Amino acid sequence: MSEARSWGRQRALCHWATPFAWLVLLLALTLGMEALEGGFRLLEPDSREIIYTRADFLVLLGRHLLMVGTAGILAIGLGVGAAIAVTRPGGRDFLPLVSQLASMGQTFPPVAVLALAVPVLGFGTVPVIVALLLYGLLPIVRNTLVGIEGIDAGVREAARGMGMTGGQILRQVELPLAAPVILAGIRTSVTINIATAAIGATVGASNLGDPIISGIVNGNTAYVVQGAVLIGLLALTVDSLFAKLMPTRG
Amino acid sequence: MIELIRVSKRFGAETAVDDISLRVEKGELCVLVGTSGCGKSTTLRMINRLIEHSDGEIHLDGQPVRTFREETLRRRIGYAIQSTGLFPHWTVARNIGLVPRLLEWPVTRIQARVEELMNLLGLPQEEFADKYPSQLSGGQAQRVGVARALAADPEILLMDEPFGALDPITRETLQEELRALQARLHKTIVFVTHDMDEALRLADRLVVMHQGRIVQQGRPIDLLRAPADAFVESLLGGEDRGLKEAALLPVSERMRPLRASQGHAQERIAQHASLREALSVMLWRHAERLIVIDEDDRPVGELSLRRLVRARDDE
Repeated sequence: MSEARSWGRQRALCHWATPFAWLVLLLALTLGMEALEGGFRLLEPDSREIIYTRADFLVLLGRHLLMVGTAGILAIGLGVGAAIAVTRPGGRDFLPLVSQLASMGQTFPPVAVLALAVPVLGFGTVPVIVALLLYGLLPIVRNTLVGIEGIDAGVREAARGMGMTGGQILRQVELPLAAPVILAGIRTSVTINIATAAIGATVGASNLGDPIISGIVNGNTAYVVQGAVLIGLLALTVDSLFAKLMPTRG
Repeated sequence: MIELIRVSKRFGAETAVDDISLRVEKGELCVLVGTSGCGKSTTLRMINRLIEHSDGEIHLDGQPVRTFREETLRRRIGYAIQSTGLFPHWTVARNIGLVPRLLEWPVTRIQARVEELMNLLGLPQEEFADKYPSQLSGGQAQRVGVARALAADPEILLMDEPFGALDPITRETLQEELRALQARLHKTIVFVTHDMDEALRLADRLVVMHQGRIVQQGRPIDLLRAPADAFVESLLGGEDRGLKEAALLPVSERMRPLRASQGHAQERIAQHASLREALSVMLWRHAERLIVIDEDDRPVGELSLRRLVRARDDE
């Protein structure tokens, strides 16, 4: 019994090994970037400062996560909610509109979204969150629609015919069956936004984009690399976490 | 008991079901048959209000279906469809227990009921309970579909071409099982199909539909013997009619008592077999006489080719 349990625990550990490894690497670099000073000096032999020190990397990482996380949670709520609303009998009229908006929005580059958000919302964290929310909304809406609409017509027919209410069909049939596709949409949305958030630094929202922008402005490649590597590692950590969350039932 | 009184259904300008009246008695297996688009599925789905009828009245045990809450009505009526509509993310046992769970039966009662139904439909519990629909063959999935329809022990069962997607052998097996099941359970069943052989095999009452109307209804044998018009006749299959009729009549109907002196016939046929099967044995074995046996293999009579082919008025 205890042997089986420890074996199960080992398997669980294996299962989470990849995201865990990325996370460890991310935290190690966040906390100990100075250790790599020698390496970065090769990139910037002439600069006085090699490691970005205007803000603590851990604080930047936290702020980055906060922005992406807030935008992500809002996008999930709004996106899944909108897709559910337009697949109900009462909201069907809006389905083509929402569906088209969702696919059209995908063709917008994120920088453009941010550029359009600033004149309206000004500088700072809020416009960045709004921009991320808008951009992150679209893959979620589209995937939720595809997931719900893609359910076998016979399953839906049977669910109704057996006497399930609309709410029961949504909770017990539609959402569980669409979950893998919805989750894939959330994964795309969040991963893209981790990268997109960096652009927020140009409009005064301080996050892991700061070293990159500052590096570009001051001609310091080491700064750029430090920011980029941390953002990359964060994206990899989150993405591999989602990969493990995806249901694997055959 | 289901009663449709002058029921019509219009989709926009198109009339799918045109002023039909139909009465299905308690314990009767009523088969709606017709070509695709004749309104048979629409008629079926109006009974559990998956489609609302435009005109007329539909009564369930004398009560108009519109007076029920939709969900309450549907939970009282078993429903099985061609694509089975099993939930792919639920196990077989959970799928079967769906309606009892909606009706908030206690867990132990649901478990017992699911077990009972799996046995009834030849799905061994230990093998199938935890399987997912994708792991089942077509015939097994349809059995689960029927079990799910029967789960809350509804008096009425609606079946929309449930065996339509199965291979001929599995289909025939399931048809036989449905008849055996019906002999035990005496449900009121409305069964839709476009397969006339299936309809003849299953029906207590056969209802032929064409262009939204009922063209003829009655016992299968009566329809075979006196089709109302050319359409019904063509549906019953011109030259095949003799065989179709023979398939409906048991050997016991035409056999005569065994005469000891003429005991040289070798080939045997069960008395509950159909005349069609008897004819087939004769053709295959080149025999003009068959010994008719009962369930215990005892000879109870004989059937000659002459008696088999001679009409009702012979001898």
